[in-house]
Parts: sequence; structure tokens; C-alpha cells
Amino acid sequence: MAQVPVQTIHRDPQLFYWILFPITIVMILTGVLRHYATVLMASAPKKQDQKTTREQRSLLHGINVRGNYHVLSKPSLTTRRDALITAYESGAYLKNPDGRGQPPPNPMSDPSAMEGMMGMMKNQMAMIIPNTLIMSWINAFFSGYVIMKLPFPLTIKFKSMLQAGVATRDMDPRWMSSISWYFLCIFGLQSVFNFLLGSENAASQMAQQMNQMGPQGAGQMFGPGVDPNKQFLAEAENLAVIEHHSVLDGVEQRLLAGIKV
Amino acid sequence: MAPPILNSPIQLSPAAALALSQQAPAFLRSSPSTVSSSPLGTLFSGPEKSEQWLQYENLIVSCLRTGDDQAAHQCLQRLVVRFGDDNERVQAIRGLVKEAEAQGNGALEEVLNEYNQILNENDANIPIAKRRVALLRSMGRLSDAASALVQLLDFSPTDAEAWSELSDIYLSQGLYPQAIYAMEEVLVLAPNAWNVCSPTKAPNLSPMLMHPSQIHARLGELQYMAATAPGVANGLYQKYMAEAVKRFSRSIELCDDYLRGYYDLKLVSKRLLNDGTKATRPTDDSEFALPDTKTIERLNELATAKLSEIVRRSAASDRGWRGYNEAEIAATRELLADDASAIKR
Repeated sequence: MAQVPVQTIHRDPQLFYWILFPITIVMILTGVLRHYATVLMASAPKKQDQKTTREQRSLLHGINVRGNYHVLSKPSLTTRRDALITAYESGAYLKNPDGRGQPPPNPMSDPSAMEGMMGMMKNQMAMIIPNTLIMSWINAFFSGYVIMKLPFPLTIKFKSMLQAGVATRDMDPRWMSSISWYFLCIFGLQSVFNFLLGSENAASQMAQQMNQMGPQGAGQMFGPGVDPNKQFLAEAENLAVIEHHSVLDGVEQRLLAGIKV
Repeated sequence: MAPPILNSPIQLSPAAALALSQQAPAFLRSSPSTVSSSPLGTLFSGPEKSEQWLQYENLIVSCLRTGDDQAAHQCLQRLVVRFGDDNERVQAIRGLVKEAEAQGNGALEEVLNEYNQILNENDANIPIAKRRVALLRSMGRLSDAASALVQLLDFSPTDAEAWSELSDIYLSQGLYPQAIYAMEEVLVLAPNAWNVCSPTKAPNLSPMLMHPSQIHARLGELQYMAATAPGVANGLYQKYMAEAVKRFSRSIELCDDYLRGYYDLKLVSKRLLNDGTKATRPTDDSEFALPDTKTIERLNELATAKLSEIVRRSAASDRGWRGYNEAEIAATRELLADDASAIKR
């Protein structure tokens, strides 16, 4: 079988300096800029008023009692439980007790929820706008250039990744086009930003997208569109079904059996 | 230079606090006076560390304690530069500095008025609300402090620190059931926590290390005090004592060789044996019953043996037995000697 001849493409070495480096530097600079733009645009977390705090923490209090009732003696658990259930069912801790039983307001009409969404929008914008600009810049000036050859062989599947914008069927996948270098930069600069800006930077969009996936669970509890009255009623039910036992039951016997002098 | 410790300085002995505050000038010199937020600055000096601000806070506390007001003001100034004038925590620290420098009751009243004003503008400002409680308490207005705390706990009932302070205030007023209730809340909120702190002794800013066994022992002590208060009915006395025994046992169960737990256990079991009260079944099945006399005797023996072992070993400063508080060891010795002389007689 005939040996496949090694492809050689004669490139202008200047391509290297005028395409590879500019793309890399521009990517790093936009990352840094994006970080500072996000820092500047970040609005200070909104202060909660007393009633909201009260509503949320009262619910948490009930959850704590339910989780750790075993440290209490039975009479003290009973008094707490009775008080909490009564207060929960009468809606004493609600932010606006008049709004009980009404359907929850549309989250779009709640100004505090709107603000959170605006923040998210701003972040999204900070991602999308620079990316679009750079992408079109690269497309306008550098599209179709093959800028370097990777020093290791690759299978044919890598062609679509490394040779975007260069529609040549027979070219070795080791050759890399400028637009592919741009994509590599998007995904691969995270560690550079960590080094430059510290580990909690807002430069990389990958990290941000991860974050948006993350805190769903925690944020959901008091998020917009959740009816606190229903939460309270559910918690009252949870408290009512506790069957008491205590860590203090028979602790003397445990101690005498467990500790030898 | 070792950086000022990150733990709260409130538990330090006076000598250690003095040593810490004497490091203040060196620390102030070694860290930059302003943190640059410009891109170039962070490129060259690295990102700021959050521990740094905690160090400033701790330094302020120990400097105020040792009378180095100048250094405290410098630290405060840096916190203000970084976080702004109206940051809640900075406001509380500034209040603390003012309280420390106030001469006489008039100046304290003035600080109190400032707190009231801040709270009028923003009633959810928890650090200031806590400072206000601490100030009221140190001015001797205990019932005002208690009602302010109750108000705070009404909208923030998950605050273990505040509950523990409330318990302390009720205790100093002699309201044992209320104190016990508040302490139980602490235990519910922080059954596994290392950090619960008491705001008046501390500036309520940095947590004090506290083990759950300590909370149990504290609660047991409250029960014991409630039981031995004058004019307690016999049924109530038994109920309190029974729970006290259980709490002390639990505290030892959580933390081996816990001196305070054993001390308390010894104290309470001795008293129960001396009383010779027969354990009556409580009318209500749900309450704890006193253990029978034999169990109490065994508990007493166990506590005595353990206490003398701790005293002996810590006097010989064996490996792993150091670090007991000197005062607590001395008290234990006294308790044991008391016991021995009683037997001789």
C-alpha cells in the first residue's frame, strides 16, 4: 500500500504573527474587559425589609425544629410545635396576611423579581455582544486562512472542529483554520483568566453558564412565584407528624456502658 | 510576623490580647493602606483576600481592649475605605469603637440615640440591633435589652447568637424557665455547630468557638440552677434535676474527658444522693424521670474517678491531657477535696 504523502502547504510565516497572536490577544483582552464590565454593572444585592426576613426565617425556624427536635425533651418540643403550627396556620408570619389564598402574583409584575431578571439579562448581554463582534471581525478579516499545523496526528473526525470555514475535503485534519483557533480560545482561556483575575472572575462565559445551572435548588425556596402560605401550611403538617424521641433517652445507661475508667 | 489570628479575640487571656494588639502597628505597616481596584493593581498585587478584613476586625477588638485607640481607628478607617460608610457591619464596628471611647453615661446615651436613628431608617439592620442590645445591657437596662432582643428574634428567629444572649440576660434576671427555653432554641438551631457566641462579651461580629457539648452542659447548668432556686416545688425540682443529669451525661457522651461535664455531673449526683429524695414517677409520662439511686451512685463514682484522673494527669502534664483551664482544674480539686473531707467525717 502506498504511503500517503505528507501534505505540505507553504504558508507565509507572517500569517502566524498577524493572525494567531492578534486573535489570542484580543480574546484575552475582551475577557479582562468583560470581567470589569460585569463588576461595574453588578447591582448591589437588594436589601430585604424586615417583613420578608421575618417570613423566610420563621419558615427556616420551623424547618430547624423539625430537623433537630431530638435534642429537646418532649414537653419543650410540644410547646414549640403547638406555637409554630398555630402561627403557621393562622398566617401570622406572612408578609401580607391579607393576600392569603389568592393565586400568587405573576412573577413578571413583581418589581423585585424583575430586577433579578434584569441582572441576568445584563450578564447575558455582556456575553453575547463581544462574542458577536469578535466573531464577525474574524469572519471579515481572517476567514479561510489556515494558520498552523498541529504537531500531532489526528483522526478525520476532528476536521469539522479544527477546519471550520475551510471547505477542503482532502486536507489533513492537523491543519487548523483561524476561526477554529477562535473557538479553542473561547473554551481554553479559563486558566489564563484565573491566573490574571483570580479564581472568581466573570471573564469566561463557560463558568457563568455553569453558575446559572447551579443554584436552582437553593434559590427556588424563596424565589418569585412560590406561595409562602402554602409553604407554611406544608411545614405545619410536617411538624404535626413528628414522633418524638430524644437523644436524652437512656443517656445515663449509654454513658455508664460506654466509658470505662 | 504571624498575622493576627483569624479567630475571635474575645476568649484570649489579657496577656494574649495585649500581645496581639502590640502587633497592630506592624500589621498596619505590612498590609497596604488602600486596596486598589484598578485592573493594573490586581494584575500586580494579586486579588485581595477576604481574611484580611476579618483580621482588621479582630485587631480592632483587641486594640480597644488594651486601650490602643489609635490603632483601632486606623483599622476602622481602612474598613470604611473598603466597604463604605453605610455598610451594616462597618456601622456596628464604628459603634463599638464609640462605645469603648465613651466617657460616662451621657456619651453612651448619645451612642444609643445614634443606634436608634439608624434602626429607624432601616429596621432590618441586624448588626446594629445587636449592638443596641449589648449597649443596653452594659448600661444596666436589662429589661430593655431583653425586650429589644425579643423584638429582634421575632423577625429573625434563626439567630442562635441572639438566643444565647437572651438566655444569658434572662439568667441574670433569675428567670430560669425563660433562660432554659432560649438555650433550647440555641441547641435546636445549632446541634452540630462549633460557633455560637454571646454578643455582649463579644462585639457580636466574630463567632466564638463553642462545641455542642458545651451547649448541653450549659443547658444542664441552667436546669440545675432552676432546680436549686429557692421555693421550687418538689415535682418541678425532680423534673429539672432529671433533665440536668441527662444533659450532663449527653455533654460527656459528645466530648470525652470533658472536665466541665464531669464536674457538673459530680455536683448534681452528689446533691441528689445527699437529698435522698425518692424518685417518684412523674404524673405525666412524657417527662423525664430521675434515674434510680443505684444509677446515680454509679454516675457519681464515674465522675469522681474521671475528675481525679483529669486532675492527676493534667498536673503531670501528660501528653494529650494539657490544655485544661487552670481555674477549672483548681475548682475541680476543691470539689474533690470537699468530697474527701466529708467522707472522713
